[in-house]
Formats: sequence, C-alpha cells, structure tokens
Amino acid sequence: MNSILPLIKNETIKMMKKKRFYVVILVLIVLVPIFVYAQMKIAETNREKFNSDWRLAVRQAITDNQNSLQSARVPEEWKKYRIIYIQQMKYYLEHDVNPQEPGGVGFTRQFMDNAATLFIPLLIMAIASDIVSSERSSGTIKMLLTRPVRRWKVLLSKLIALLMFVSLIVVSAFVISYLISGLVFGYKGFNIPVFTGFKLNGSDVDLSGVHAVPQWAYILMQCGLIWFMSITVAMLAFMVSVLVRSTAASIVIMMAALIAGTILTNMASAWTSAKYLFMVNLDLTNYLAGTPAPIEGMTLGFSLAVLAIWAAVSLLISFTVFTKQDILN
Amino acid sequence: MNSSSWLWRTIGISSVLATLLLLAGFLYAVKDVIAPASGNPWVSTPDGSLSNAAPTTSAKEYNIVSLGDSLAKGTGDDTGQGFVRRAVTELQKVQKLPVKLVNNLGVNGMTTKGLLPTLNEEGVQYVLRNANVILLSIGGNDLFQGAQNVQTGKALPTYKELSSEVEKASLRLKQIVDKIHEINPAAQLVYVGLYNPFNDLKEMRIPGNQAVAEWNLRASEILNTYENGRVVSTFDIFTGNTKKYLADDHFHPNDEGYQYIAERIVQGLR
Repeated sequence: MNSILPLIKNETIKMMKKKRFYVVILVLIVLVPIFVYAQMKIAETNREKFNSDWRLAVRQAITDNQNSLQSARVPEEWKKYRIIYIQQMKYYLEHDVNPQEPGGVGFTRQFMDNAATLFIPLLIMAIASDIVSSERSSGTIKMLLTRPVRRWKVLLSKLIALLMFVSLIVVSAFVISYLISGLVFGYKGFNIPVFTGFKLNGSDVDLSGVHAVPQWAYILMQCGLIWFMSITVAMLAFMVSVLVRSTAASIVIMMAALIAGTILTNMASAWTSAKYLFMVNLDLTNYLAGTPAPIEGMTLGFSLAVLAIWAAVSLLISFTVFTKQDILN
Repeated sequence: MNSSSWLWRTIGISSVLATLLLLAGFLYAVKDVIAPASGNPWVSTPDGSLSNAAPTTSAKEYNIVSLGDSLAKGTGDDTGQGFVRRAVTELQKVQKLPVKLVNNLGVNGMTTKGLLPTLNEEGVQYVLRNANVILLSIGGNDLFQGAQNVQTGKALPTYKELSSEVEKASLRLKQIVDKIHEINPAAQLVYVGLYNPFNDLKEMRIPGNQAVAEWNLRASEILNTYENGRVVSTFDIFTGNTKKYLADDHFHPNDEGYQYIAERIVQGLR
C-alpha cells in the first residue's frame, strides 16, 4: 500500500496537468446554461397557457397521453411508457404535489436523469480513454515501466486515479447544474416530495410500492446509481485504452458502443437477449423513476449484475493484457 | 513541488468524500428499489389534497372546459381546433370579457361508461371547478360503436339494439350531468347533441335517426332539470349533408361541421 500511494499521486497530478478534468468542467459550465434556458422557455409557455396553474397543465398532459394511447399508430411498447406516466401524474395530482416544481433542485434532478445515459458517460470517456493509450502514443510508457515497480501496480494506480475522477465528475455535474440553474430557478426545493416505486405489471401500474422521498434523498439515490454506471463505463473505457494504441480509436470505439445502446433501447424490445449487453443497462435511474425497462424481464438487480460482470471481465482483460504484453515502438 | 502536493491533497480528499457519498446513495437506492416497504428513514408523506385547492381562474373571464369524446377533442378537424377552440374564437368575437380555454379533456373513443369514473378523479374535479362554461360531448360512441363496423363488414345494429343502448346510456348520461353539476353548480353546462353520421346509409338512416332523436330527447330532459344546462342541437346540420360536413372517416365532423357546431354553442351562451 505504501508504494502505491505515490503512484496514485503521480497519476492524479498527471491527469490535472493534462487538463482533461478542466475540459469536463468547462463543458458542463457551457452546456448547463443552454439547458436552463430551454427549461425556462418551457416554463414560460406553460405559464401563458395555464395561468401558471400547474394542476391544469398536468391534467391536460394526462388527457393528451390518454389520446395517444387510443391511437393505433402508436407502437405497443411506447404505450406502456404512457400508461405509467398517466398513473404517475394522477398520483401527483391526487396528493397535490407538483411533479415539476420549478427550482434549481428540480432542474438538477431532471438534468441528471437525462444526462445519465450519454452525457455523463461521454465526460467519463474524456478522461478514461487516453489514460493508458496516451502513454503509449507518446512513448512515456517506457519511462513508467522501467521503474522498479510491478506492472500491475502501475495499472492499478491508473485505475484508482480514474475512479477518483469518476466520483468527482458525477458530483461536479450535480454541483454545476445546481449552482447555474439556481441562478434562474432559485436554490430551493430540497424537501419537495418525489414519488418513487411505480411498477408496471402487464398493462397495469402497480402502486403498492409507491412512496414519497424528499427530493434531496432522491437525487442522492440517483447520483449513486449514475456513479455505479459511470464506474462500469470507466472500466470498459480503461480496457479499450489498454488494448488500443491510439486515443482517437479508443474514444470512437466507446462512443459507438454507447450510441448503439441508445439506439437499441429504442428498438430492441423484440430481441430480448440484447438485455445482456452493457449499454442497454446503463439507464439505472429508470428503476427509480418507474419508467419501464426497455426490455421485458430487466430489473435493477439484473442490470447491476450485468454491469458488474462486464466491469469485472474488462478489468481482468486489462490486467492480463497489460502485464503480459510486449512494449514495442 | 509545493503546488502539486497541494493539488494532490485537495483532489485526494474531495474524491474520497465524493466516493463515500455516492456509495451511500447507491446502497440506499438499491435498498429503496428492491425493498421499498422496509422502514425508509426519509419517507416524507405529503398531506396535501387537491380537493382543498381553490380554483385559480378569474371570475371575470370566460373559462371554458370541455370534456367527453373525440368530438370534444376535435378529431376530423384538419386544423385540429374542433368545436371547442372554434367556440372560444367565436365567443371572443361577441364578448368583451376575455375568453380562455382552461382544459380540453376530450379523449378519443370515450363513452358514458368511461367518463363516469373519471369524474371521481380529483384532478378532473379541480379542472371543472375552474370553469364557468363546461362543454360536454358524449354518447356518440355508446350508440354507434357497432355501426362503425360498416367498414369492417360486420352486421349493422338494428333499431332495437340502438334503442336499448339509448336506454342504458342515457341513465349514465344523467349520472354524469348530475355529477358535473354537483362538482360545479354555478357553471353553464352545454351538452352537444348527437347527429346521425350514417344517415346516408339506407339501412341506417331511419333506425339511426330514430335512435338519435330519442337520445337527444332524453338529453334535453336531463339537462333541462338544471337552470344552467342546455342541449345544443346538431342533428339538423348533418341530416342530408354528411358528404359536406363529415370528415373522411365518415364519423367525425370536418372543419365546416365543427364550425357550425361552435357557432350554435356560442349563440346560446351568456
């Protein structure tokens, strides 16, 4: 342990000096205001339409979704999303709780939900993809490996540094979104109740497990799940970075896999064995929000297991390959 | 050297703290999703109820709410307005007070059977309390669901079947009207009468017309018991004019058909 700490320190400082983390923060600082502005516009139109009465707006949303349920042109698998949405909105209305109470905290919750599958993984890849491959393309890997340290320790120190930054990225995404959206929507809303525990049984919505948690607890859970997903993505990117010499190639490979995941979740409900792919299981926050899983038979436990197995296998491959391979030019 | 040491310390400590926090959130989330019932320390029970919420609309405006079937929704109108939004536009032309459409709760395929339970929803009741004009269109699907089989080649309903349907559905219409009046006794309630969309079909003209006439009579009887209730007649608009005023689906009005219904509604409003 004593000999690994300096290595981690070394990796961390390298990471900061390469300014990758600053880029991530900068991307967040640039993009969040754009989303905030879009959200502000939506809130404005609603205010005009419904006299700023959210109850009327929610009730109209229920009717609109009921109408699309009647339409023969809406595919069956989309209907279950609508069914559960209608039930959720009715539940919020009955308890007189605004599901979209304006506020920085509520915005952040929505933002984290939307960012979970593509945006945050992208930020993770920004630091994970070149963590090994850049040492090879620049040749510095020889300097690293000529030191009297075991190869697995070198790799482990990189992995630990990476995981440290994964946690930092997830937390910064929350903090930046909260700070910026709070300027517009206010910094309140930590104690607003959020309902969770909706389940879909066939075409009925099971309300027996529904309970309210304060919004801060909801966001904590949400970030925890995003963190787990991010670790999986980080480990996969880590493996690709070990296997592929060029940083650009390793980014492209990971991006392609992630985008394939978004496409698959939109169309793969007929191909049920797709549920064993990691990219279909990334949207863990769905289980919290009660959105139906893209493929029949997926549960939180299942997705966590799939992600854990993918992460473990990619770690195994990374360490085996890295300790065995010859370092040539 | 000093600065990098400082950097390492900050990042080290903050990332360990972040990791611990996220790990806690993760464990809590897994527990909450997999076993939601078992003693959650942070459950908050909202005690609010929509039945206590006061309406937010102003009494100095026309606040229009529509509910019922596809006619209320405006199906068949190429502009998507339906009689509801057309009525809003027309009413604004003749009234000084601002006219607002609060909500349109028309759902395609809605029947009296389907509408009755929705009136017990607090969300719907809240919307109705916000109205001072309520436009109701219901019953067409009760009567003619069978007749829509005309395209699929199934047997058309006989007069006897239609008549017994009128009997049953009008009882539910009475319950619906009573319930709406109970929720908001002050609002003007306008019921849009039925027409016979099949009066150009030889087999359906007379039985259909008879059944619709019976239905409209029942509807008038029900609505007339309330001071604020009225039935707007649409039967005559479409008789002999189905080609002109019905949409391509041969069931819903088209733009012009909706326009006439809207004008009639406005003529009766105060």
